Amino acid sequence: MSAFLRKSAVRLAMAALAVGLIFGVWNLVIFAFDLKAYALPTPQASVSAIYHRWSIFQPLTLQTIKETAYGFGIGAAIGFLLGVFMSASKTVQRLVYPALITSQAVPIVAIAAPLAILFGFGVLPKLVIVAWVVFFPVVVNVLDGLAHVDRDLVNLARVMGAKRTRAFIAIQLPATLSPLFSGLKIGATYAVTGAVIGEWVASAQQGLGTYLQTANASLDTPGVMGATILLTAIGVASFLLVMAVEVAATPWRSRSTARRKTRFPGEMLVGHSDSDTPDTKGARRWFGSHPAGVPRGSRSESRSRPR
Amino acid sequence: MNGGGSKVVVDDVTVRFDGALALDHLSLEIGRSEFVSIVGPSGSGKSTLFNVVSGLQRPSSGRVLLDGRDITGETGHVGYMLQKDLLIPWRTVVGNIVLGAALTRGVRGRDREDAAALASRYGLGEFLDHYPHALSGGMRQRVALMRTLALNTDVLLLDEPFGALDSQTRLDMQLWLLSVYEDLEVTILFVTHDVDEAILLADRVTVMSVRPGRILADLPIPLPRPRDLDVLTSPAFVDLKRQVLGLLHTPAAAAAG
Repeated sequence: MSAFLRKSAVRLAMAALAVGLIFGVWNLVIFAFDLKAYALPTPQASVSAIYHRWSIFQPLTLQTIKETAYGFGIGAAIGFLLGVFMSASKTVQRLVYPALITSQAVPIVAIAAPLAILFGFGVLPKLVIVAWVVFFPVVVNVLDGLAHVDRDLVNLARVMGAKRTRAFIAIQLPATLSPLFSGLKIGATYAVTGAVIGEWVASAQQGLGTYLQTANASLDTPGVMGATILLTAIGVASFLLVMAVEVAATPWRSRSTARRKTRFPGEMLVGHSDSDTPDTKGARRWFGSHPAGVPRGSRSESRSRPR
Repeated sequence: MNGGGSKVVVDDVTVRFDGALALDHLSLEIGRSEFVSIVGPSGSGKSTLFNVVSGLQRPSSGRVLLDGRDITGETGHVGYMLQKDLLIPWRTVVGNIVLGAALTRGVRGRDREDAAALASRYGLGEFLDHYPHALSGGMRQRVALMRTLALNTDVLLLDEPFGALDSQTRLDMQLWLLSVYEDLEVTILFVTHDVDEAILLADRVTVMSVRPGRILADLPIPLPRPRDLDVLTSPAFVDLKRQVLGLLHTPAAAAAG
């Protein structure tokens, strides 16, 4: 436990150091090129702008977070379902894959305007844009994960008498978790950019993106940098959040044993109890049909050699 | 052979892949609770034979009988284990052992209790909640065999299950399998490249030829059970080994290769 704490502390310190480094370089650039505050404010001035205008920034930040989160959820869900759907048939895959690639080649700014015409200036076009940039890495990774499931494992499930759907749910689907999270992490960082573009092109509601635009127009550079810092923070936080969910959802990648609560009740009784000859209790099924004295050799109790 | 008729009958099975003959009119009978080792050079169709018996591969012609019933092309009747342990990384030791139930009728508390008892009995009681990546190669293969046993099928097909282990671990696993086999009433078909392993474990060693797969010889192994390490150096063992090696390297086997 103390080792875990020490590890966490080191990681946290490294992260703080990284932020410090960015701010340091930022200051250095201002000093080296003798940049005026209206061209590029110091990080201190930008952070202080956030602090002093928090009453303005707060609702804007919430609005952008909402767009990012909802859009991300929609995009991730569509991406996952599309990946599973496409994996079902090679023909579907050959048909849909080029369409997906084309969808990503279309400049997102270019389709944002028609989306605003289609869906109005509400929250909907923003969600569509965020989902649009999020779903692609998810589809690609889920498809990849499904394609790389060991054929022998699928065959083993068949030999065991599994129906196709059951084998899919028990073996193929969980195998997509790791690649799915890779896609989600990429998507999480794209999502914020998607939300900002959405706000620029189709906005009646105020968000950090719209604020960025007006601050830019009025040469309010501390405002621009403040909003940028907040957007960056949302992006980083989304990434970290996905990573935390990943660790929780795929415990076998970071732990050597399952958590106690996922254990089953009977195990303590059978595995560790000293009473009622635990070893033979559950093993009755294996040896029950075996009448005593059958010339199959002795029951070698101590034969096992843990290695 | 323990009597009681044949457990598994491979009846005149031929498998053709794109014109190439993998198995050529192969017939094989395995008695109830018999342990049969199948040896033969690479490409002699041992794995194809297993795929046919397990139902994964439908033969071009011929039948597979289990207890006299035709199970040709049907899966779910026999246990199957490969050189790759194929443990599921997100399932614990117990979770992997009950996989068969999870894939068919659903896992019950009883299945988990039995799995835990099985694991405890064979030296993995401390590792019930461990994920496979935290286990050694030998332990993983043991879990894979327990998963096969937990299927409750009385026929096990083991396709070079210890092939990827180091020689010390492999010997431990062979002795362990001997004890499991002597404990249980199961019929085992065991594919291996290792002549020592084939003789040490089996009641009968079947030698196959290369492309097309045919049975060259069938050699009974009359070594008494229970067997242990000493068997490996006994004169009877060495004599049997000489015979099997001779069969494996007959002109017929060599010419076909």
